[in-house]
Amino acid sequence: MVTPIQIRLRWDDPATGERREPVLGLPIALGREFSQMPGEIAGTRISRLVLNSDQVSRFHALIDMESGGLVVVDQGSRNGTFVNGTLQKRCALANGDTLQVGPYQINVSFAGSAAAPTQASNSPILFNPHTDLPDPTQPPQPPVIASGFPPQAFVDSQIVPVQDLHATGLPVDEIDYAAIGAGLGSFIWVDLLRIFGVKPGQIAALGMEKEPYARYRRLCLNSQIPLHERLRSNSDSCPDNIWGWPSYALREAWGDFFKGQIGASFKYLWQVFAEPTFAETYTPRAGNVFNSIDREATRIGWDGIFRYGRIRAIRKTDDGRYAIAYSRGDASRRDRAFLLTKYVQIATGYPAIQFLPDLQDYREKTGDFKSVVNAYEDHKHVYEYLEQKGGTVLIRGRGIVASRIVQRIYEARQRNPNISLLHLMRSPKPQGNKFGSAQRQVANHYEFQPFNWPKAGWGGEMRAILEQATPEQRKRLLADWGGSTTADRGDWKRIVQEGLNQGWYQIAFGEVERVEREQDGIITYIQEKGFKGQVKLEANFIIDATGLDAHVTANPLLNDLVNCYNLPLNHLGRMSVANDFELVEMRADRGRMYAAGAITLGGPYAPVDSFLGLQYAALRTVDSLAAARAIGISRLNVLTSLRQWLKWVANQSP
Amino acid sequence: MTPTLLGRWQSRLLLFATVGVLLTLPFFLGMIGNKPGTIYFWILGYLAFFGHGWDVLYNYLQKFRWDYDWPGVFQLLAGIWEGIFVAILAIAIGLPGVPKGQFELPLFVLHYSLVWLGIYIASQSLMRILFVRSRFKGGQWL
Repeated sequence: MVTPIQIRLRWDDPATGERREPVLGLPIALGREFSQMPGEIAGTRISRLVLNSDQVSRFHALIDMESGGLVVVDQGSRNGTFVNGTLQKRCALANGDTLQVGPYQINVSFAGSAAAPTQASNSPILFNPHTDLPDPTQPPQPPVIASGFPPQAFVDSQIVPVQDLHATGLPVDEIDYAAIGAGLGSFIWVDLLRIFGVKPGQIAALGMEKEPYARYRRLCLNSQIPLHERLRSNSDSCPDNIWGWPSYALREAWGDFFKGQIGASFKYLWQVFAEPTFAETYTPRAGNVFNSIDREATRIGWDGIFRYGRIRAIRKTDDGRYAIAYSRGDASRRDRAFLLTKYVQIATGYPAIQFLPDLQDYREKTGDFKSVVNAYEDHKHVYEYLEQKGGTVLIRGRGIVASRIVQRIYEARQRNPNISLLHLMRSPKPQGNKFGSAQRQVANHYEFQPFNWPKAGWGGEMRAILEQATPEQRKRLLADWGGSTTADRGDWKRIVQEGLNQGWYQIAFGEVERVEREQDGIITYIQEKGFKGQVKLEANFIIDATGLDAHVTANPLLNDLVNCYNLPLNHLGRMSVANDFELVEMRADRGRMYAAGAITLGGPYAPVDSFLGLQYAALRTVDSLAAARAIGISRLNVLTSLRQWLKWVANQSP
Repeated sequence: MTPTLLGRWQSRLLLFATVGVLLTLPFFLGMIGNKPGTIYFWILGYLAFFGHGWDVLYNYLQKFRWDYDWPGVFQLLAGIWEGIFVAILAIAIGLPGVPKGQFELPLFVLHYSLVWLGIYIASQSLMRILFVRSRFKGGQWL
C-alpha cells in the first residue's frame, strides 16, 4: 500500500477574490457535484473537491499518483482542463503548476515541500473609527462596548425596554426612518424616501462624514482616480437621479456642446449608442458625479437629515421599534445618545480593505508601511519618489485598480523614464470566463468586462436569473460572472502593449512564498516550479491592487448584530437578505430593517456596490415599505413619477 | 438598459400603441404625404406583430454576448431589417389592408423612420421617467 501523499491546492474564489487553500490527500476528484464523483478507486478513498460553476463538469478531473509522479486526468469534461494555460487530457503535474477548471485557477503545490502555509484568508485593513481613513494600525476587532457605552444591559438583551433607555438619563430621540452609514448607500435610500413623499424631519442619516461620497471619493483619489478621470460606472447610473435620464453622457454632451467642443459632445452620444461593440464604453468623470450628488443633496435637504455619530449597537425595543446607541462626541467631547426608529436601512459599505497575507506579514515583520502599500491607501509618496529617483514597482492583482496604477506609472515615466514595472499575476489567463454561449475577452492576461458584473446583472436577464436562484445556484452564477476584470479601454491597452514592447513593463507569474526586505530593496520570493531553482523579484515598492473585500463580521456593529440575533450569513459571509433587501430575522412588530451595498453580496442581486445597484436596492426597499404602509410614504406611480421628475429638473424640493 | 424577452414585448406593445399611433396620425389624416388612409395603421400593426417574433430571435442572439446586452446601434440595425422585411412582403405578396399597388416605398420609408426614431427616443427617456422600475426589469412596465 502506498502512503497517502498530500498536496495543497490554492485558488482565489472567483466571485470575491477570497483565498481558499485546502490540503488534500491523493487521489483528488474535482467536479461540480459531490455525488457524481467516485468515493474510492481500488480501495483508496478519494478526496472530493466541489467547484461550483456551470463551466465545471459534474466529475471534471482526477489528480492521482502514477508511477511515482503526479498526474491530472480530464474525465471527458465539457470545457476541458488546462495546465499552465494549455488544454490537456492527461498531464504530469509539477510543484507550482496551475490547473484551470472553469473559472477556477488552482495552484498545485506539494504540501510537504511548500513553505509554511500563509494565512488562509486575506488580512483586512480596517477603517479608523475616528477618522474613517484606512488605518493599518487598527486592531482587527475593536470591542463594541468601550468605556461603558452602550450599557451592559442594552448589549446583553435582544429586546430592550424603552423605559430603560430613558432611565439612563441620556438623550433619547425619535424618528421614523434611520439610515446607518450616511454614505452613498444611505444617500440613495434617503433620496428615494424623499421622492416617495417622506419629509426630511422624518429621516436621520447617521454617519461620520457629511458628504455622502466622502469615503468613496477618498478611495478613488487614493487608487489614482483624480476628479477629471472617469469612474467605472454606466452613463445612466446616476446617484442623483433615480430615472437615469438625462444620463451623464447626455449632460456631458450638452455641456460640452455649449462650450464649443462639438466633437467631444457627439463622441459621448455615439459611445452610449454603440458601446461596447463599436465604441469604448462611456463612463462619467468622477468630479461631475460628485457635483451632481451635491446638487441632489441640497435639493432633498440632506443637511438637515445627516447627523454626525458613530453607531455602537442596535437592538429591538419592547414596543416593536429599534434603538440605536450612538456617540456624537469626538476625542475631546463625550456625547452619547439613543435614537428610536421604526425603519432602519444599514449601508455601511466595505468593512475593510483586503490586504494580501504575505504583504501583511512583511509589514508586521518590518514595520515598513511605506514601500509595501495597498492601492486604496494614500500612497502618493510612491509616485513622488519614482518621478524623482526612478525605480521598480511590483503590482499584484489584475483588476481595474491595477490598470489604473499602470496608467499612473506610465504618467510618471513621462517625467522619469527610469521607472520599470513588474506585474505579478498568480497564473496565466489564456481564455476568459464562459457563461452559456458567451465568453469574456482576454488580452495580455487581462480579462475585460465594461463593469464589475455583466451588464444584464443590473436589470436584464441575469438579474432575474439570480433572484430566482437557490443559494447553491447563486454561488455558481457569481463564480461564473465574477472575477477580477478590467475595462476595455484603448489607452490602457496601448500602454500595456507599449510597455511590453519597450521592456519597461513585464508580466510575471507565480505564487508568492514570502516577501523580505534586503539591501537591494524588497524581494518577493516566488514559489519554485518543479524544484528548478528560486525566482526572486526585486522592487522598490509593492502595490497590492487586489481590491476591497471583507466579511461583515469585520465590522463591529454588524458583528454584534449578527451575534445578538443569530442572523444567518450567506455563502460569502455577508448579510442574508430577502429579495427586497429586508433582514427578515430583524423584523419587529412595527419595524422593518433593510440592508444595502457590499454587505449583501451573495444574495439576490450581484452588483450591490455599484451606483445603479444601490438605486435598485433602494427602490425595492422603498416599494416594500410602501406596501407595508410605512409612515408618510406612498408608492410612485406613472403620474407621481413624472411630477417628481419635473421637480428634479426644476431643482425643487421633492 | 439590457432587455429581457418579456421587457421587449411589453415595451414594443406600449410604444407602438402610443408613440407609434401618434406619429401615424398625420399620415392617416393626409397631413404628411398626399394619400390619407388606413394603410399606415395596417403597416404599423404588421410591424408590431412581426416584431414580437423578431424579439424572440434578438433575445436568443443576445445570449451570445457576454453582457447579454443590446446596444442602441443593434436596435437600429434590427429596425432597418424589420422595415425591409415588411416592405418586401408588401411589395412582393401584398398584405391584407395594404393592397399591392397602393404601397409607396418613399412614403413608407418616411413614416417608418419617424416611428422608429420616435419610439427609440421615447424608450430612452419617457419610459424611464414614467415607469421608474422598467429599467431594472429589462423594459417590463407591467
